Amino acid sequence: MKKTSEQHIDQSAKLAFSFFIASAGLWLLAAALLAYIAAAKLTDPLFLASWEIFTYGKIKIIQANAFVYGWGGNSIFAVSLWIIARLSQSLIRGSTFLIFAGTVWNLAITFGLFGILDGYMLGHELLEMPKEVWPALFVSYLVISFLILVVFRSRKQSTTIAPQWFIVAALIWFPCLFIFAWSGLEINPGRGTLSSILSIWFGQNIIWLWLTPVALGCAYYIIPSVLNRPIDKYYLAIFGFWCIAALAPWSVVHHLEGGPVPMWVPAIGTVMSIAMVFPIAVASTNFHSTAFQDISRVWNYLPLRFVIFGTLSYTISSYIGVIFSLPAVAKLTQFSIINEFHFNQRVYGFFSMIIFGIVYHILPQITGREIGTAAKNFHFWTSAFGVFAILLAYLIGGLTHGVLAQQPSLEWVTVIESVKPYFLITEYAFIILGFSQLVFVLNLWKVLVPNPFACCDSGAKQKTA
Amino acid sequence: MNNIFKFSFYIFLTLAFAWLAFVVGAKNQYGDLEPTAESLEEDGSIAPDADLFPKAMSGLAQLGAKEYLSLGCATCHTQQVRSEEAGFDVERGWGKRPSVPRDYILQDEVLLGHNRVGPDLTNVGLREYSNEWLHQHLFMPQSIVEGSICQPSPFLYETFDESEENTIETTLDGQQIFIKPSLRANRIVAYLESLKQDYELPEIAFSESIDDADLVAEATDTNESATEDSDTAFPTWLASQMDSGKDIYQKLAPGGGMCVTCHMPTGLGNKTAGIPPLAGSDWVLGDKERLIKISIHGLMGEIEVNGEKYIGAMNGFGQTLAAPLDDNQISDVLTYIRNEWGNSASSVSAEEVAAVRDEYKERPITQMWTTAELEKNPASD
Repeated sequence: MKKTSEQHIDQSAKLAFSFFIASAGLWLLAAALLAYIAAAKLTDPLFLASWEIFTYGKIKIIQANAFVYGWGGNSIFAVSLWIIARLSQSLIRGSTFLIFAGTVWNLAITFGLFGILDGYMLGHELLEMPKEVWPALFVSYLVISFLILVVFRSRKQSTTIAPQWFIVAALIWFPCLFIFAWSGLEINPGRGTLSSILSIWFGQNIIWLWLTPVALGCAYYIIPSVLNRPIDKYYLAIFGFWCIAALAPWSVVHHLEGGPVPMWVPAIGTVMSIAMVFPIAVASTNFHSTAFQDISRVWNYLPLRFVIFGTLSYTISSYIGVIFSLPAVAKLTQFSIINEFHFNQRVYGFFSMIIFGIVYHILPQITGREIGTAAKNFHFWTSAFGVFAILLAYLIGGLTHGVLAQQPSLEWVTVIESVKPYFLITEYAFIILGFSQLVFVLNLWKVLVPNPFACCDSGAKQKTA
Repeated sequence: MNNIFKFSFYIFLTLAFAWLAFVVGAKNQYGDLEPTAESLEEDGSIAPDADLFPKAMSGLAQLGAKEYLSLGCATCHTQQVRSEEAGFDVERGWGKRPSVPRDYILQDEVLLGHNRVGPDLTNVGLREYSNEWLHQHLFMPQSIVEGSICQPSPFLYETFDESEENTIETTLDGQQIFIKPSLRANRIVAYLESLKQDYELPEIAFSESIDDADLVAEATDTNESATEDSDTAFPTWLASQMDSGKDIYQKLAPGGGMCVTCHMPTGLGNKTAGIPPLAGSDWVLGDKERLIKISIHGLMGEIEVNGEKYIGAMNGFGQTLAAPLDDNQISDVLTYIRNEWGNSASSVSAEEVAAVRDEYKERPITQMWTTAELEKNPASD
């Protein structure tokens, strides 16, 4: 009986989930290509130099936006839809609206990115897309998140658990963040550096309060459900959740250390960043002490391997992030390419890896078709290697960059010359990541759009299943 | 946690508290900063004859800021000199002193940035780069800084094999070529040249390690040209207009300082950057209505002054800048430029300015004139 109701839920989620994850995959490919172009332009500035649209500043910005809103946004919609529906044991309604709003969301991003290429970039972090597209993005977001929250509201059990807190909170945080940022940046802009505080606050919080909680929610969902054992020290989870909620909005402004803003702004940021060790420790304990009780199952079930890679990366890199927010260290590395390390760690090493895992977990259940183990393994190892290479290159390169920049006797171009090898490493690593993401999209393609030539084969599989 | 509405409200509150501090609190603390003098009187007031800082950027530079933004320059370049405890920026010679919030209050686009793949540009206008050097660098950084990974922008230039009017000599792949800056390139260079924090403020002095002998020399240079002609006698009815106009031209008055950046204290303009002279100019001394129109709406494209062609753009000062000029101020500054540097022509009254403004009130304030348009409209006289 339980089985059937789950199948009903999966059936109701199938259309919208497939739509969102397919769009997410396409955005991921676009972002991978752009990431490669941007990396290549740093190693060879003459590459594609005669076209204005390929100038590094524009490519870099649209890459980040395509990644966060295109891949991040669509995959958030897809996984939160399914997880919320499963946990609430309610059917998803209004698939047509979901798909319509999703189309608007994707079109708005597309127009926005072309707007940036055409020279209409705004100067706010992760709000660079031209003004005109934001109302469309905002409204379509509201429709999608409303329909997901309706499912949550019609849940069968009144008590809620950790994955629900994180995902529902992330869905609500984004519009709140946007309204706060938009009112202070465009509707009633403050003079001078007031807007800079708000811009960095929004740009960093998008990562901390939108991408991060969804990925944490997915991990809280998949680890106990696959291992079939409760989260170890689950009573800490609620503390971890409210710590992130209370600290993250304050901690992100430590990036303004020493800048032309009142001193209390970065000071609060630094203190709160250090306090972030508590939620990081809680999540880490919850995930890893549960997962390591059955490490062979984690290793053999590929989706879980992806997720644990993500949570380990989250733990390690977040601690590194805390260290780099200390003023004595920030003095060297604040403006170095360490920032690329933080961004890529969070969006690739943590968020994307967890999303890959959870998608591989969901897809077979929704479509009834399995993805080849070899293809999934290839995806895992190339991703893991690519992410590792990128993060290591940016970490060591960032330290080199910061330490050399501190010596006034060195010409700036000498400083950059010594960072160049690390740019070259990232260029190759982005090629590897590009391939790995192509494999991911092909894997999606294979299960979402059955190959007409292999119909008999897949039919046979379904029969045996 | 189990009630979605309560839960949403708490989630909203977590952000609202931070927003209260970083937006409402910060705005309350320093949202009303105004330009001020380098040092204040003992009672905390500003001396009446003091020069006020920061100054507004020239119109050309303000347009340049938009180009700088749209090309994504801020992805690699910061514009903030960190405090000495927090960074090595002053030691590195990126500024005479750390930046403070007041430095940015008149900028439309505040581009602090947070990556330094390229050097900090807060004070790029103070470094000894010539106009040509900046253009050569913008065109192809690698041709003058070996090993640079700054992005070339050849799409902002026309290239020629031989020297032509307004071209700059440079090299490309070891070959000598000549480049002609587009309007956008000129704007960006004007913006870069305008980036400087070369003044002290009551809240921040120059850092001790910097030898400020250069600065003193610079200051006297500009003062000299400013005081040169102040003794010329004008009738009293003209003198007050001249004084006020001079203040606006040269920066002392609110909203002022935008003329002098491009047309220079000498009124001779800058030929290589496409800035025509005002001294002896047939446009300045000629038809008043034409002159008023340009001051309000701006001018773009080609203009022939005293037989020489210039290409560029000038912002209109009726525009929505940080501090637009009103009719009185426009009439004063026009009277000033018609009677300075050996120029001598009738004064311009505020009524004349108001009349032109009224006549063209339908025209969008940001729509610049072109010379073709100005010549098509036969002047009133």
